[in-house]
Amino acid sequence: MSRATVELDFFGMSKENSSSSSKSKFLNRQRSFRDIQSAISKMNPELLKSVIASGSAASNKSTPDNGNQMSSNKSFSVPSTPKQELPPFPALPVYFPLPRLNLENPLETAPLTIFYNGTVAVFDVPQDKAENILKLAEKGISKTVVEPVADPRTDHQQKLLESLDGDLPIARRKSLQRFLEKRKERLALETPYASTPNTRFQGRKTMKNHYSFWAGLGLASKDEKDSLLN
Amino acid sequence: MNNLNCSGCGVGGGMSDVVLECVMPYIHDPRDRDAVSLVCRRWYELDAITRRHVTIALCYSTSPDRLQRRFKHLESLKMKGKPRAAMFFNLIPEDWGGFVTPWVNEIAESFNCLKSLHFRRMIVKDSDLELLASSRGRVLEVLKLDKCSGFSTDGLSHIGRSCRQLRTLFLEESGIAEKDGDWLHELATNNTVLQTLNFYMTDLTKVRLEDLELLAKNCRSLVSLKISDFELLELVGFFRSASAIEEFCGGSFNEPDQPGKYAAVIFPPKLCRLGLTYMEKNVMSIVFPFASLLKKLDLLYVLLGTEDHCVLVQRCPNLEVLETRNVIGDRGLEALAQSCKRLKRLRIERGADEQEMEDVDGRVSQRGLIALAQGCLEIEYIAVYVSDITNAALEHLGAYSKNLNDFRLVLLDQEHMITDLPLDNGVRALLSGCEKLQRFGLYLRPGGLSDVGLGYIGQYSRHVRWMILGSVGESDEGLLAFSTGCPSLQKLEMRACCFTESALARAALQLTSLRYLWVHGYRETSTGHRDLLTMVRPFWNIELIPSRKVPTVNNAGQNVFDDNPAHILAYYSLAGPRTDFPDTVKPLDPAKVVAA
Repeated sequence: MSRATVELDFFGMSKENSSSSSKSKFLNRQRSFRDIQSAISKMNPELLKSVIASGSAASNKSTPDNGNQMSSNKSFSVPSTPKQELPPFPALPVYFPLPRLNLENPLETAPLTIFYNGTVAVFDVPQDKAENILKLAEKGISKTVVEPVADPRTDHQQKLLESLDGDLPIARRKSLQRFLEKRKERLALETPYASTPNTRFQGRKTMKNHYSFWAGLGLASKDEKDSLLN
Repeated sequence: MNNLNCSGCGVGGGMSDVVLECVMPYIHDPRDRDAVSLVCRRWYELDAITRRHVTIALCYSTSPDRLQRRFKHLESLKMKGKPRAAMFFNLIPEDWGGFVTPWVNEIAESFNCLKSLHFRRMIVKDSDLELLASSRGRVLEVLKLDKCSGFSTDGLSHIGRSCRQLRTLFLEESGIAEKDGDWLHELATNNTVLQTLNFYMTDLTKVRLEDLELLAKNCRSLVSLKISDFELLELVGFFRSASAIEEFCGGSFNEPDQPGKYAAVIFPPKLCRLGLTYMEKNVMSIVFPFASLLKKLDLLYVLLGTEDHCVLVQRCPNLEVLETRNVIGDRGLEALAQSCKRLKRLRIERGADEQEMEDVDGRVSQRGLIALAQGCLEIEYIAVYVSDITNAALEHLGAYSKNLNDFRLVLLDQEHMITDLPLDNGVRALLSGCEKLQRFGLYLRPGGLSDVGLGYIGQYSRHVRWMILGSVGESDEGLLAFSTGCPSLQKLEMRACCFTESALARAALQLTSLRYLWVHGYRETSTGHRDLLTMVRPFWNIELIPSRKVPTVNNAGQNVFDDNPAHILAYYSLAGPRTDFPDTVKPLDPAKVVAA
C-alpha cells in the first residue's frame, strides 16, 4: 500500500540553510522553537491527543526521512538525530501534499512526521485530520506572527499590551487570604514531622504550635490570643 | 386630595384611594413597585408613602435628601458603596469613598420609621454609630455593617448600650479597630431580644467568654451566632444555655492533639447551619451525630483534605448550602452529587497556590462539574474556581441545572494546558439552557473565549442583570457584538480584558439597561483617556482610579510594589459628580481631557 508523505517544516530548515552565519541560524531556530511551542500550545489538545492515540495504535511505521522509527506501541517519540543530517524542507508553514493524495480515499491514513524540540513523532493520520492539525498550526503561528504587525503601535502601548496578556493575577478575597496566611503561620512555627510528645507543649496559653499535614501526621494548635493578622 | 378619577387609571374611572392603600402594602418586589410608581402621580405618591424597603445599589447614585423627599416613611434601607472589587486585596484604595456619614445624618433627622439598616462596603465612623444609637437606638431592630471599615469597638459600645430592640447585629468581614470587648458586654446586658449576632471574619479577639454566656442567658431567642476565633472547648457552657441556636460559625480548635476532649462539646439540638474554623480530620466526628440535620456547611476555613470532604458530605443528605475551598476536588463533588440531592448553593473558593499546602487531589475540573450537574438538579447558585474545564461541562450545566440563577466560574492560571478551549459552545449552551440565570461570572484567560463566544453571551443572556467577565474575547469586535445583546444587563464588571477605551465607551452606550460599569485592566490607547469621552452623557458619572503602584508581599515574603493598572468606574447618578474624592480617584472631566 503506497503512502503519501506530508512534510511539515516546523524548524524552518530552508531558512536555516539559506542564512549565512551560524548565529542567525541559531536565532532562527530560537524564534521557530517559540513559534512551534506557541502554535502547539494553541492547538486543540483533544485533537492532539486523538492524533497521538491513533498514531500509537498503528505503530511500527518507518519513515523515509531518517533512521528513526516508532519502535513499539508504547513509545511514539524518540530523540532525533542532529538537524544538519536532515534533508531540506519547504518553508514553514506549508501543507505540501504529494499529487497522489488528492485521489486517494480520504479515510486512508498516512504518516505525519512532527519534529519538535529535539524529538520526532510519527503518526498515522487520515488526510482530514492532518489538514486540521496543519490549519491549527498555521492559525497558531500566524496569530503570533501577524498580530503585532497589523496595528502600528508605540513602544509604550506594546508594553502595556504584553503586560495585559493575562498578566493581571486573579485577585484573592481578603477573608480567604487572611485564613491562608494564618494557616501558614500555624504550620511554620513548628518543624514538620515533629509529632513526638516531648516536642509539644500542653495547654492553650502557650505559644508553641504543631505542624499538621492534611494527611494528619501531626496536629496544629495555637493560642487563640495570638493575633497573626493586621 | 381624594381623587377618585385620576387620569391614566384606566377605563371606568380610577380605583378609590382606600382600595389602593389596601393593596399597595402587599406589593413588595421593587420592580413591581417601580412600575406602580410610574402609572400616575397619585400612584407615585401612594407608593412613596407605603414603600417599606429601598435598596440603593450605589450610594452615589442619589442623595440622602432625594431619598428623604420621596420615601419619608421608609422602614428598611440597604445601600452599597465601594465597588465589589474592594473585597479583594489591593484593588480598590481603602479610602475610595462610600461614607455613611451624610446618610446617617439624614436618618437621624428625618427617617422616623427606620428600623433596619444595612451598609455594605462602606466607610463607617464611630461618630456615625454614636449618632445612630442616640437618634434611632430606641427603634433600631436590624443593623448590618457588612464588609465595612473605619470604626472601632467604641462605636459598637454605643450600639450595644442604646439599641435595646436590636434583633440583628451583623458585622461580618468588617475591618474593626479593637480596643476591648466591652461592646459585647453592653449588648449582653442591655438586650433580651437579640436573634442574630455575627462578627465572623472580623479580627475581634478580646471578646470575653462571660459576655457570650450572659448573652445566651438573656437572649433566649438567639438563633444565629457567628463569631471570630474562640476556643471551642470554652463554649461548652454557652452551647448548653443557647438551646435555640440553629446556626453557629467560628470558634477554633487549639488542642487538636487531644481530640477526645472535644467530645465534651454538645451542640444545641436545633443546630443545622455550621462552620467550625480550623476543624481537622481527627475532630470531624463531633459533627457526625447531627450531620444528617445539617442544611448549611461552611468548610472555607477548615483543615480537611479531599477524602475528609467525601466522608463528611456523604453524611449530610439534607445539605442545601455548601461553602468550601477547591480542596474538595472532583472526588468530593462526585460524593456531593451522590449524597446531597437537595443542594441549592455551592461555593468553591480558591485554596492555596503552593502545592504542599493543599491536598494533591484538591482540584476541581469538568469531571466534578459534570457530576454535580447530573446529581444536584435543584442547584440555584454555583461559584467555582476550576483548574481545568471543557465545553461539555458547561453543556451539562445547561442541560440539567434548570434552576440555576447565579453562575460564576473562574479558571485558575496554574495549568498551562486546558483540556478544551475556547468555551464558546459551552457558554452558549449554558446560557440558553439556564433560563432563570440572572447573575453570571466568567473569568478565563487569553484564548478562553473567542469574539464569537463573547457575542454568544450577548445573544443568550436574556435575563442576566449582573456580570463579571475576566480575560474574555479577542478584540473590540467581540465586545461590540456582546454589547448589542444583554438586554437586561444593569451592572457590568470587567477585568484583564483586551478592549480599547473606545470600544468600552461604545459598548457602554449600546447596553440598553446598563447603569453601572467597572473595568480594571484594559487597553489604554488614548492619552488622558480621551477615547472615554465617547460615553459622556447626562447623569453618567465617569471616574478613574489611575494606574498606581500598590505595596504588597510577594511569595518570597518581600515587600514589593505591584503595578496596578487603571480602573474605570461609570454609573448613572441623579446627584451629580461626587464631592468627596480621595487623591487616588479622579473624575473624568471632559473639559480637562480635551484641553490636554
